[in-house]
Amino acid sequence: MSTASLVFAALFYAAVAVLVGGLAWRIRLYARTPAPLRIPTTPAPRTRGGVALRLAREVALFESLFKGGVWLWLFAWLFHAGLALVLLRHLRYFVEPVWAWLAFVVPLGVYAGFAMLAGLAGLWVRRVAVERVRYISTPSDHLMLALLVAIGLSGFAMKYLAHTDVVAVKAFFLGLMRLDPQPLPADPVLWLHLSLVAALMLVFPFSKLLHAPGLFFSPSRNQPDDSRERRHLAAWAAPLDSHR
Amino acid sequence: MRRATALARAALLIAAGAAVVLASGIEARVPRPAHDTPKGERCVENTEFMRRNHMKLLVHQRDRTVREGVRTKAHSLANCVDCHAGATTRSVIARGPDGSEGFCAGCHAYVGVTLDCFECHAATPRAAATAAAEERP
Repeated sequence: MSTASLVFAALFYAAVAVLVGGLAWRIRLYARTPAPLRIPTTPAPRTRGGVALRLAREVALFESLFKGGVWLWLFAWLFHAGLALVLLRHLRYFVEPVWAWLAFVVPLGVYAGFAMLAGLAGLWVRRVAVERVRYISTPSDHLMLALLVAIGLSGFAMKYLAHTDVVAVKAFFLGLMRLDPQPLPADPVLWLHLSLVAALMLVFPFSKLLHAPGLFFSPSRNQPDDSRERRHLAAWAAPLDSHR
Repeated sequence: MRRATALARAALLIAAGAAVVLASGIEARVPRPAHDTPKGERCVENTEFMRRNHMKLLVHQRDRTVREGVRTKAHSLANCVDCHAGATTRSVIARGPDGSEGFCAGCHAYVGVTLDCFECHAATPRAAATAAAEERP
């Protein structure tokens, strides 16, 4: 086993630990943050079922983004939908045997990869070309786009230019999951791709990418509009209320 | 900041735990595709190259043969099949009675890659190769 294989094995164990632990810590923080007021953005659903449907629309269709502006919605949706299919394509490296429906999705992941990069390109052009967006853009906004674009490009480089031994790559990841590290092919583009992905996993719990779990904890989206039917009382406010 | 330190400590703990499990030598077999060893001394290119680029060679060969009319033998699919067919199945896609997978199908299924060649082309060796194989003791 080469040193590089062991370094990457350690890197991915650490990256998974930080990603899972960090997300759990963040989600706990979000879940414990009090929502003192009923502040759903109206028109809002009046039942919990309706809220579930509203959140589902936010997750799948980016409804709020669409209402905010079609260009941002288009690029963001293209990127996220592409990314979802690309992630499904990569699931083949982690399950054995590959499920039949997954084998069907795998080739679609290539087209999704192009959609993903097109979306990222659009988002980046928007950040540079739209003056008011450029004004509020921070280095981390650009770096996150750069990281995602670099991951996509290095992936495509392996698809079309410098192939790697995908059978050995799958054995490497199955080995990680079975705590039985296997050698990783010594291909520079593969190393670059995996390093960038590990970096993404490591920064995820400390970055703007937290909008993924954060969406579910947004009071303006996750509250039903039932302030006429039920009094909203935050737990910490109840004692104050009784003294009045 | 204090929280980030706690997090780093937790990550280290998990990594250390994993290291202990590894060191204790848990036998967890990593599944890999299983197929018969192909015949012959060596392939038309070296193994590391073939594992990464066999599909490029085949597409290139198709373009040369079908579109440009140049028929050469070096990277011909029929030659691949002659050497790589299973010892008992005489096929590169059929599963053997001993559980061995076809030389092509095993890896293609393992990584979920389509295998369209044999929708049209034969997955079994040509008559001459089969006869030669049967003559051998």
